[in-house]
Amino acid sequence: MDYTFQFGVIAKHLPYLIGGAWLSLLLAFLAFWAGAVIGLLGAMGKTFGGRVLYRVIDVYVVFFTNTPALVQIYVIFYGLPDLGIVLSPFNSVLLGLTLNCGAYLTEIQRAGFQSVRREELEAAETLGMSLWQTVRYVIAPHIAKTLYAPLSNFYIWIVLGSSMAGIFAVEELTGRAINVSSSTFRTIEVFTYTAGIYVVLTVVASALLALIGRHAFRVKARIF
Amino acid sequence: MPHLEIADLSASYEKGVDVLSGIDLQVERGEILSLIGPSGSGKSTLLRVIVGLLPPDSGRMVVDGTPVNFHDKRSLRDLRGRCAIVFQQYNLFQNMNVMRNVTIAPTKIKKRAAASVRAEAEALLEKVGLGDKHDAYPDELSGGQQQRVAIARALALKPEILLLDEVTSALDPELVNEVLDAVRVLAGEGMTMVVVSHEMGFVREVSTRVAMMDEGRIVETGTPEEIFDRPSAGRTRDFVAKILRG
Repeated sequence: MDYTFQFGVIAKHLPYLIGGAWLSLLLAFLAFWAGAVIGLLGAMGKTFGGRVLYRVIDVYVVFFTNTPALVQIYVIFYGLPDLGIVLSPFNSVLLGLTLNCGAYLTEIQRAGFQSVRREELEAAETLGMSLWQTVRYVIAPHIAKTLYAPLSNFYIWIVLGSSMAGIFAVEELTGRAINVSSSTFRTIEVFTYTAGIYVVLTVVASALLALIGRHAFRVKARIF
Repeated sequence: MPHLEIADLSASYEKGVDVLSGIDLQVERGEILSLIGPSGSGKSTLLRVIVGLLPPDSGRMVVDGTPVNFHDKRSLRDLRGRCAIVFQQYNLFQNMNVMRNVTIAPTKIKKRAAASVRAEAEALLEKVGLGDKHDAYPDELSGGQQQRVAIARALALKPEILLLDEVTSALDPELVNEVLDAVRVLAGEGMTMVVVSHEMGFVREVSTRVAMMDEGRIVETGTPEEIFDRPSAGRTRDFVAKILRG
């Protein structure tokens, strides 16, 4: 092996890469929360809506959970312009990830809806809560607490999944890594740094989520 | 005019199997009516119908002169503004602490000012002996404590009619009296109550009238003395004899 590692040369690109990491986080954050709202509505529709609504939501969920996110983004970025809808690379990736999140989070939250104790729902009803108030005050906090672990894992998955944006020339972490790599030809070094930054991102995110869970939802989550 | 009037009411969980049939009942203002009878006789189901959790198949219910339409949201909301229920299993919101369990309905549903609701909630929790548990969560409390929170939660709604479904069965013996005292105070305040209980001492003491139920029907209604000392229906006689012996 006659390759000489040159990590020092790449170090000066670190601020540039870290700048990209912020965009990764933003992408993940927006996609997750927009997806969570879609998922909440989807779960409500599947639980309380009629048979037709159930079917419609099911088609959406099945489509998006059974096709690769990357393919979905390709369709949005390269396919939609043929229909006259042109989105920027960032918006295409955001839309793709959001719809993908929405589908998964519909199913995750529906499980939460089904695990709410019937007694609490009856209490909510007799106290005069509307459906929306019941969701807001009883069901959503229950979901946040009981489904805390799968939701956190999913958030991490979205942070990592945002790397697909690099393929579409979005200058988030992976996109910038591709740029640095192609101008320096130091592929191994660049992507080692990049991987390291992803580890920091996800570990920090996990710790933050665990802290939030502990204090807001009394989840006994371990931070490390 | 009776406070609560039920006429020829039938209800079922599955079609064709009546859990309640031909129920006629009148509860006057300030009256405490107790429902007694063997398990499965429909006592709790009747409370569920009154509070609008189970729409009846037929019959009529009139609260304070207003007929209840069980399939109309506004009518149900109006009903729940007047009736509150305390469940056998407490049914507290697990994600809320004691104070929030008590204050959520008055502040978020009735939109009352948080400060005055909180002051009332503190007084109610003090009344049920939980003045020091404001911040505790239901899973940190004993069954008896949870039930007292549930009573405070129901009272926070300032109901005209309070429904108690087997509320003393989970209480420690020493706490039964505290609850009895609270119930007496409420009775003195003119609150109408419908109580389901297997605690015959409790029933006899607090009730103004007792209704004996069996197989989804009301067999006999009378004062506690009439029901316990000189029951006229054979079924009541058997039941009371069994209870008093046991």
